[in-house]
Amino acid sequence: MDVEKKHFTCVICPIGCEIDVELQGSDVVSMTGDKCARGKEFVLQELEEPMRILTTTVRIKGAKWAMLPVRTDKPIPKRLLFRVIKELADIELQAPVKVSDAIIKDIAGTDVNIIATRNMKREKKDKFV
Amino acid sequence: MEADVTVIGSGPAGLAAALHADYSGAKNVLLLEREEELGGILKQCIHNGFGLQQFKIDYTGPEYAERLIEEIEKTNVRHFLNTMVIALSPDRTITAVNPKRGVFQIKSKSVVLAMGCRERARGSINIPGTRPSGVYTAGVAQRFVNIDGYLPGKEIVILGSGDIGLIMARRLTLEGAQVKGVYEIMNYPGGLRRNIVQCLNDFNIPLYLSHTVTEIRGKDRVEGVVVSRVDEKMQPIGGSEQFIACDTLLLSVGLIPENELSKEAGIGLSSITKGPISTETMETAVPGVFSCGNVSTVFDLVDYVAETGMTAGRNAARFAAGGWKKEKNSVEIIPGENVRVLFPQRYSFEDDLILFIRSAKPVERPVRIDISPLEIHFKKLYSRPNEMIKLKVPKDKLKGTTKSIEVHITER
Repeated sequence: MDVEKKHFTCVICPIGCEIDVELQGSDVVSMTGDKCARGKEFVLQELEEPMRILTTTVRIKGAKWAMLPVRTDKPIPKRLLFRVIKELADIELQAPVKVSDAIIKDIAGTDVNIIATRNMKREKKDKFV
Repeated sequence: MEADVTVIGSGPAGLAAALHADYSGAKNVLLLEREEELGGILKQCIHNGFGLQQFKIDYTGPEYAERLIEEIEKTNVRHFLNTMVIALSPDRTITAVNPKRGVFQIKSKSVVLAMGCRERARGSINIPGTRPSGVYTAGVAQRFVNIDGYLPGKEIVILGSGDIGLIMARRLTLEGAQVKGVYEIMNYPGGLRRNIVQCLNDFNIPLYLSHTVTEIRGKDRVEGVVVSRVDEKMQPIGGSEQFIACDTLLLSVGLIPENELSKEAGIGLSSITKGPISTETMETAVPGVFSCGNVSTVFDLVDYVAETGMTAGRNAARFAAGGWKKEKNSVEIIPGENVRVLFPQRYSFEDDLILFIRSAKPVERPVRIDISPLEIHFKKLYSRPNEMIKLKVPKDKLKGTTKSIEVHITER
């Protein structure tokens, strides 16, 4: 079987190791450039299924601002980022919201919750308009 | 009005300073914020990566702000919102204005400057061409998208690879815009390595090093930009011009400490950091006026911003309590080989010396950092201008130093 070469930049710490991997099918034949066990773990996860925390915003009514910042409470598969973004595009919340409140549970069937990343109080009318 | 410690600005530096002034026993701490809520720029930095060193937790900007605000609310710190400081005098009298009190004065025993920094814009880099709408700094675009809910454009070119530009490349892509490329005039990226990977590589956004925008085109709205390769002196190479159609140009071309107030108060600024010349206590050349965070020098991690805030707050409380020696013996700290930025600039024998260093050029081999003439060395695996180096030199090792201290970075 042919040997496939892949390159990764580790993002676990600021060093940012440049790691080269040789693969035969899904088996790792060699790994070079990794300075610690966490780098190795990162590359294996990237090969299996790259995972990312998603941070974005959703619309909110009755608050001082138009948008509420939110995040996934756990990393989600990278391939699902745009699907989650699309689901969130249709949502409109009502103030008040508290930081860490789960806004949506089990988004896109992932077992991951979308949580608010700040407090947003209910405001009557924007006094500066 | 009177105060023991007055902090100007409530971003991460100001919040940390106010908290630690209170923790250090200052009775009457006042926190002034020109916007309508506390937190400063953290509120629009909705991405994660904040507080990893300080709290060992991966917070987003708003979460990090909420944590500090929650702490502030447990203390006796008073804060005034919608309050703009318009003047500061060397005797630590602050003139401010807000809708409730009008123009008012605060006589403060000590003052902490925590005004942060502002973005360099088109005028600071003189890009030729027309003046259409659609040219924004990355931070303004960030505010539009993350707080107001507006997309600044659909086809975007980003000039400069600073962290905010990289973060916005990802953010705009997620929100449905097409980011055509990030162009960087230097031959290395400006932002942190993890941001290159997670913001550009993850979304197949190309990064062009040694490139710059040499013309903006468009009548009412941006219609495109001309990009050119640059030589090693950063001069555009004739014949390398290429037209890129786009409706928006974002600028992520550096930050400058916001020191209009400091200048007015006669506080000496460093030509290197563009911030007040300070000692390890964060005291500026004006006794009782301390400075911290990005108004001192532009940091790349919030953890370092907050750390300088804590130091400034603690020492501002000590100053306000009295017994602080006004005429202090201090020595200069001078940037040597391969050191572009060094903070603080003076050492006054009060605290351990926490040095923040930015190298002049990237070295991807093991380096040695010498604190001369003290025969103190540190070893690092590399030195990169986009990653500030933090070192701690204990107070007892500095005792008896009479000459200036030099910092050099050399290959091992």
